[in-house]
Amino acid sequence: MKCQKCKVKNATTHVKRVVNGEYEEYMLCGDCAHEMGFDNVFDMDMPDMFGGLMKSLFGALPSRSGAARCPLCGSTLGDITNTGKVGCAKCYEVFYNELLPSVKRIHGNTTHSGKTPGRQAIPEKSKENSEKEIKEQIEGLKKQLDKAVEVQNFELAAELRDKIREMEGK
Amino acid sequence: MTDAVNISSRVRLARNLREYPFPDRMSDAQKAEVIEKVKAAVLNLSKKLLFVNLSELSELDLVSMVERHLISPEFADKQSGRALAVSEDESVSIMINEEDHLRIQVILPGLCVEEAYRIAEEIESELSLYLNFAFDRNLGYLTQCPTNLGTGMRASVMMHLCAMSETRTVPRIATNLQKLGIAIRGTYGEGTDATSSLYQLSNQVTLGISEAAAVENIRNIALQLSETEKLTRENLMQSMEYQDKISRSMGILLTARLISYNEAVRLLSNVRLGICEGIIDNVSIDTVDKLIVSIQPASLMRREGRKLSPQERDKVRAELIKSTLR
Repeated sequence: MKCQKCKVKNATTHVKRVVNGEYEEYMLCGDCAHEMGFDNVFDMDMPDMFGGLMKSLFGALPSRSGAARCPLCGSTLGDITNTGKVGCAKCYEVFYNELLPSVKRIHGNTTHSGKTPGRQAIPEKSKENSEKEIKEQIEGLKKQLDKAVEVQNFELAAELRDKIREMEGK
Repeated sequence: MTDAVNISSRVRLARNLREYPFPDRMSDAQKAEVIEKVKAAVLNLSKKLLFVNLSELSELDLVSMVERHLISPEFADKQSGRALAVSEDESVSIMINEEDHLRIQVILPGLCVEEAYRIAEEIESELSLYLNFAFDRNLGYLTQCPTNLGTGMRASVMMHLCAMSETRTVPRIATNLQKLGIAIRGTYGEGTDATSSLYQLSNQVTLGISEAAAVENIRNIALQLSETEKLTRENLMQSMEYQDKISRSMGILLTARLISYNEAVRLLSNVRLGICEGIIDNVSIDTVDKLIVSIQPASLMRREGRKLSPQERDKVRAELIKSTLR
């Protein structure tokens, strides 16, 4: 799809906003999006005037965890804020404190709720679950544990084992 | 089954392998490794999926898959270092090395988001036996773009809101839904222009809300919108003008010799309403829904087995519509 503003370049940015109660939506190319002030999700953390300056400083500074670069993928915080894309799973650990405000702004929340690896999504009314249901869940987990051992995924097996212990302890 | 308002339900789960950088930062060799690992896991699934490297597919095949909502336009845009696993009935697809290492998608007709989630979750659980998915206790499943953190789940329903689009109530509802972390936007046609009055309802927040709760929200909103749409349709149908519009739409579709995609979709949307309201009775909703997909440019050319100029397409499209609706 072509950019709706310049109608020349390909649209790469999908913008949705509400102005005076009217819902608007555009498909824009990177340049037009930038011109109209729609940049990537991280940019809004900085005041417009100093955005560029702050970003260049930010990229050079070490993170609060002390690392300037992610040891797994080599990304700096600047790389992440410039592209709006995180480099790898490890980056979330290394730059956790720096990324958290953006995460909070996007989701209004910073704590995951729902499925965790190797387990069915936690039912909404877990407190009201009868003992029978918990037993069934443990049985299900044990089956998954057997399967995990069978395919030699010991990391998952260990997680499952801990979960089973935790549930049996309740 | 597809109903008067709800055309299809879709659930997509984003997952990444812990030990590799996210796709934008992977080398070609790493991309190939991820493809191999995922392939091995996919071949072990109890549901049989066909596995292809994207570079093996023709551009026409790829674009027509985008038209069928099997893959995203961004995914089809660049073929190297990417692969696709898809079930024979096309209800399940897994994009490999799109924005995330895996995008597991389930698409089903009608309003059945829970069922779509159940299937997606089952596949994800099976895959997690062989693949180490990146997960953080606080942030949930880790994704390249932080907008997908948490469940990594996007659930959506494609809805035919022709009456509400006619009375211009959709923008107002969109504003209210936004406050609930739910988006509604036009699909097909260019950008905001919902010529076909087909809309997509989807959850925007993925962190802090469980899959079950998000799916339930989408389903409830879809049900409420369906009710409002049905009432609005009843009112609209009182007007002879609108009934006339529907009959004329059918007339044009049955006689046109050249028809553009946008015009065809707009008219088919009217015909779909006519069928639901009993004004047109010799065609089924299902036929119209399938037609809306198959008259898109790439799907049309794939059907013909060759490239067509825009004017040739308009001619072939008109013929296909005529023969299907007669």
